[in-house]
Amino acid sequence: MAVTSITEQSGRTVVALSGEIDMEEAPKVRRALLDSMKQKRDILVDLSQVTYIDSSGIASLIEGLQTARKQKNDLALVSVSQRARRVLELARLDKVFTIHADLPTALAAAKG
Amino acid sequence: MSGPTSQPIDPNGPLTDPLEFAAALSRSFAETQDIDATVREALGQIVKLLRVEAGAIFLLDELRTSLICRASVGPVDVTGLSVPNGSGVVGRAVVEDSIQVVEQAYQDQAFFAEADRKTGFVTRSILCAPMSVGHNVIGAVEVLNKQNGKPFHAEDQNLLRVMAASAALAISNARMADRLVAQERLQREVELAAEIQRHLLPAEEDESSPICGLVRPIQEVSGDFYDHFELPDGTIAFAIGDVSGKGLNASLLMSQTASLFRCLGKTVRDPARLMSILNREICETVSRGMFVTMVSGLYDPATGRLRFANAGHIPPLLRRPNQRSIEMPADSPPLGIVPYSKYETEEVDLNGAQFVLCTDGVTEYRFGDEELGTEGLDMLIDTARGKPLLQRLNAVVEELQRAGWRARDDLTLLAIDDAMAARTVEQRAEAERAEPDPSDFLFGLSFPADPKRLRLVRPALRAAAEACGFDENETDDVLLAAGEAIENIIVHAYGNRRGEIALAVHRMPDGLMLRIRDFAPNVDPAKIQPRKLDDVRPGGLGTHFIRAVMDDASFIPLPDGEGNLLELVKRKR
Repeated sequence: MAVTSITEQSGRTVVALSGEIDMEEAPKVRRALLDSMKQKRDILVDLSQVTYIDSSGIASLIEGLQTARKQKNDLALVSVSQRARRVLELARLDKVFTIHADLPTALAAAKG
Repeated sequence: MSGPTSQPIDPNGPLTDPLEFAAALSRSFAETQDIDATVREALGQIVKLLRVEAGAIFLLDELRTSLICRASVGPVDVTGLSVPNGSGVVGRAVVEDSIQVVEQAYQDQAFFAEADRKTGFVTRSILCAPMSVGHNVIGAVEVLNKQNGKPFHAEDQNLLRVMAASAALAISNARMADRLVAQERLQREVELAAEIQRHLLPAEEDESSPICGLVRPIQEVSGDFYDHFELPDGTIAFAIGDVSGKGLNASLLMSQTASLFRCLGKTVRDPARLMSILNREICETVSRGMFVTMVSGLYDPATGRLRFANAGHIPPLLRRPNQRSIEMPADSPPLGIVPYSKYETEEVDLNGAQFVLCTDGVTEYRFGDEELGTEGLDMLIDTARGKPLLQRLNAVVEELQRAGWRARDDLTLLAIDDAMAARTVEQRAEAERAEPDPSDFLFGLSFPADPKRLRLVRPALRAAAEACGFDENETDDVLLAAGEAIENIIVHAYGNRRGEIALAVHRMPDGLMLRIRDFAPNVDPAKIQPRKLDDVRPGGLGTHFIRAVMDDASFIPLPDGEGNLLELVKRKR
């Protein structure tokens, strides 16, 4: 189950992902991100429970980021697990995404 | 119409022949298995046949202290009425086991007039016959007031006596059938309990294992148990126990103790602490007077180190080669007696020695007045010297039986032979040395080109990478690279169409090599290039990841039409 929950918190949409996000699971993540975009809110993607993510999973996040920016919203990553951070760094995407240490920090951060 | 003896029972008409009555009654009991219904039917026949105003059948209860009315016919229903055995005319018939003829009820001292007063019935004359099988009286049948006020004839007495005897026999048979059914049910329950117990013992002993046990219950269910299982680090947890008492209660306590040990033994690594926890649990649930003696411990076959705790059990026997055997006594009480008993962990370095545990069913094996004892067991253990451990244990039991020793209790043996473990450790080391191939083939997998298979491949790869000595991060990188390579094949080589992928994993002296092959038309490696990293868009990342985390990634040329073969190498830091 790649997408654990989609909730609204302090005016943001929080999408929590978990488990192994590979070519099989990535389409579900892509769908969930694009669907939550319709609320026109900023998106926070919680990666704390992600144990594996590959280029397919990263591609979903990139597509989400691009779609969000197109509609003047932000997509930031929250509680990035060690494994996800390693893969983001390999892709040098750690500077492209806004990354928050945890959810309270992300919610407290000024809207982008 | 055939003769009266073969006439079927007619519930509406009286049967004139007592023999026919008896036959019909037996048939009826056999068919319905409902004693009360058949007793009622029999009484109805008796009342009609003897032309009386009322009748009742009384049967003795289980304690034989009261006579209970089980059927009644007449203007007043007295079913359920209880009369103390020996009182009333009915009681007299039962106690004296003789037929009672009372012509004037109110002139008989024993007559119980209270019933008449309560019911408004007026009893004039009584005929009451005991119902007995052999010398065993089970009750009596009583009839009241011959119709038209006539007295009872001698013929009536004979008829009632015969019918009472027939009814007694039929009831007695029906009760026996009931008991057999109940026994059968109990037997099935006992078999079920035995079956559950067998599942609590280690499934099958491995001949080459350095630890083995056996149990020979004297009844179907046993109060003995033993268990051993390997923990993730190779240490073996073991236990042997004996529950006081026999039968179902003992076996239930045994099952409880054995399953507690199975659960706790996996996490509690200190034998004394394990015993304390078991003791408290058993104290809480055990019924008065029952207890468990037990030895439990941990044995490490890699080092020969053994730690154990003893709760009031027969001392384990330590048998070192060419030395006198030592008994290792226990001071701690059995489990289930006092909740806060203290237990201590003993430590032994086996160093090739044998550690033998048994229940008192073994040491109390008897030959005349002589008991086998620990010394006897110590000698018998060597009966099948040199054979695998399980065969040596079986030989002990066979030798006892062959020599005519008598078992008085369940017999359970559990033994550790550290010499055998030392051999297997050596064998393992030898096997590891015998790996001359620098690119040792670990495993191969073949699977359909389907994203759903990725999650099935990863665990096998993870195990391989760990076996090659990679740390967690490096292992995760190997998984990532392999996953990306397989996804590339699914998307680029097969274009999301059906196809086959083969994966081979080799161990190298300094790392790991993966070979991933497809059977699609040749791919031009030049066309699969990593993307420019400042170009933020989906796709193209996989190849970049492979090159970033692996030390070497190259396509091995294959003849045209043979597909593509990608070789990935990762070396240890």
